[in-house]
Amino acid sequence: MNPKQIACIVLLMVIGAMTYTAQIIHKTVATTRAAAEDAETAAVTAENDRSTAEVQTTMLRTETEDVRRFLRSWLPAIDRVQTQQEAEQTIELSLRERGINLVRSRKTEVKQSAGNKLIPKSVVTTLTIEDEFAKVLNWLGDIERRLPTARMKVVQVTGGSTGAQLKMDVSFETPIFDLAAADAEKKKAPAKPVDKAKKS
Amino acid sequence: MNEYLCHDFKTPRVDTSRRLPSSFRAIPIIFYVALVGSAYVMTMDYFNYKAALKQKTDAEERQKISEGKTESLKNEKASLEAEATKAEKVAQWMEGARNIQPIAVKIARAVQTDTRITQVALERSEQVPANIALTIHLNGSKVSTELAAIEASLGQLLYRSYSPQQTKNGDVVEYHSTLVRQAE
Repeated sequence: MNPKQIACIVLLMVIGAMTYTAQIIHKTVATTRAAAEDAETAAVTAENDRSTAEVQTTMLRTETEDVRRFLRSWLPAIDRVQTQQEAEQTIELSLRERGINLVRSRKTEVKQSAGNKLIPKSVVTTLTIEDEFAKVLNWLGDIERRLPTARMKVVQVTGGSTGAQLKMDVSFETPIFDLAAADAEKKKAPAKPVDKAKKS
Repeated sequence: MNEYLCHDFKTPRVDTSRRLPSSFRAIPIIFYVALVGSAYVMTMDYFNYKAALKQKTDAEERQKISEGKTESLKNEKASLEAEATKAEKVAQWMEGARNIQPIAVKIARAVQTDTRITQVALERSEQVPANIALTIHLNGSKVSTELAAIEASLGQLLYRSYSPQQTKNGDVVEYHSTLVRQAE
């Protein structure tokens, strides 16, 4: 093999090396560009997900605004009675302030509701009072004002021992709300707004 | 002129090696073309590589920000759902905890002085606490009129008497009905 042929072979090898290197680099760049495209696609998907989540959250916020405002308005009343003692003290105070002196019977018991996480227990009070017509009915209004979450189960008004007096048998349930425990019970299904209830 | 001929460039030389075929003249041209081509491709690849890296970094940054916001929104949605669920349960309870005293007052005010109410009982339904069973025992000469007045008074409180029944027991008329609150 003469020097000219060797020079040609060397030149061809250099051409081959250059082409190969360029090809390798091109492949690397193509891989990087593909990765960039994938990242772009993933970013667009993430942005779409965020947009969807934003729309859903905004809709849910709007749909549940009324019922959540209703809850917020009731929070002070719910926080006011958190123990049996607080419920009993409120009743005691109401009887004293309204001047109901004749309490024929009074019974308080705690009712446990294991299945209800929002109201795990409630205080059931049964009272029999006797006094003037106006005082008895005013006391009923007063206790409903002081314990707005209480549910009057039975109210029975009959004649008292004298003509001017009334006897009232009343049984009511004061719920002890546990809102913190209810937080743990998150439902996955989207909540639907309900008609807000108002105390008359 | 020197008598020795140092060098004569014009004298034809016999090739020391055999000449390459004519087609081999293309090899230098291919070399230059390959050199220029490779330089062009590698330069363009360099810029594309830089651009792709920047695009990838930007896209990953955007993805990270979007995922963070999505997570935050999902948390907010879960919190709203939990609050709404609680609110619904509280609302359900409160629906059955409407004040009863106005009903008692309305009944008392609806009757005339010549009619005597001997008993009023208001009992909340266990199944539907919003409904109240009303029992009134009264005697007098115009009981029917008085009962109509009572129902009208209760209507002002948005309560409607459902399946009212009257039974007469001597002078006393016993009136039973279920008070159902009408939608506002």
